Amino acid sequence: MFGMFRITNPLSGGLLWKSPWRMSKFQKLRQRRRLRAVDSVVAILDAALAKQGETLKALERWKEEMPTEAEMLPKDKYTMFDRNAKRYRKSVHKLPKWTRVSQRLNPPGY
Amino acid sequence: MSWFRITLHRSAIGLPERTRGVLMALGLRRRSQTVFHPVEPQFAGMIMKVKELVLVEEVDKPKTQAELREERRPEPGFYLEKAVPRHDEAALFSSRTRGSVLAAVQAMESEEVRL
Repeated sequence: MFGMFRITNPLSGGLLWKSPWRMSKFQKLRQRRRLRAVDSVVAILDAALAKQGETLKALERWKEEMPTEAEMLPKDKYTMFDRNAKRYRKSVHKLPKWTRVSQRLNPPGY
Repeated sequence: MSWFRITLHRSAIGLPERTRGVLMALGLRRRSQTVFHPVEPQFAGMIMKVKELVLVEEVDKPKTQAELREERRPEPGFYLEKAVPRHDEAALFSSRTRGSVLAAVQAMESEEVRL
């Protein structure tokens, strides 16, 4: 039970990757910065196209549907819907490639 | 005519083939590579596809490769910082009050000479 041959998850099962169930405050800070960076890219595209009198469907749709970082609730910034998770929420860092994909919206009511 | 200055900030490793294809179409092959494209809906749409990976600015005219390199060159010359006289140093360490240490640090900073 104790000592060198104790039965632990990595010893009995081999590879075990653990990730904490919630994000640290530094992860949250970087997440906010990334959200703001995407917001700024969208704003720059919008301003540049508006100067030329052009528009873009994808851009209009994004502006219509997606909240900016300032408009988002902390709940939506750091957690996302998961039908299998307890209380239907998991931390957003469980999402594969989470630092390089946009995950802002969740089903209404959850 | 204005241009988009697009810099690949995040790598597309492990992202879908479509995303990587958009980066190829923009001419972005490696991180921190910069390309210029005219402000047109076509290019705006491509940037929109990879907005999480790139840094974008609107500029008046594109820069050549040589100008981009020149931008990254550090400023020539060096800063000469004068050594603080020894008796001042002793005074700085002996004095426990915060105000005098701050004053000494400010004095040191003001002595910094740009060549």
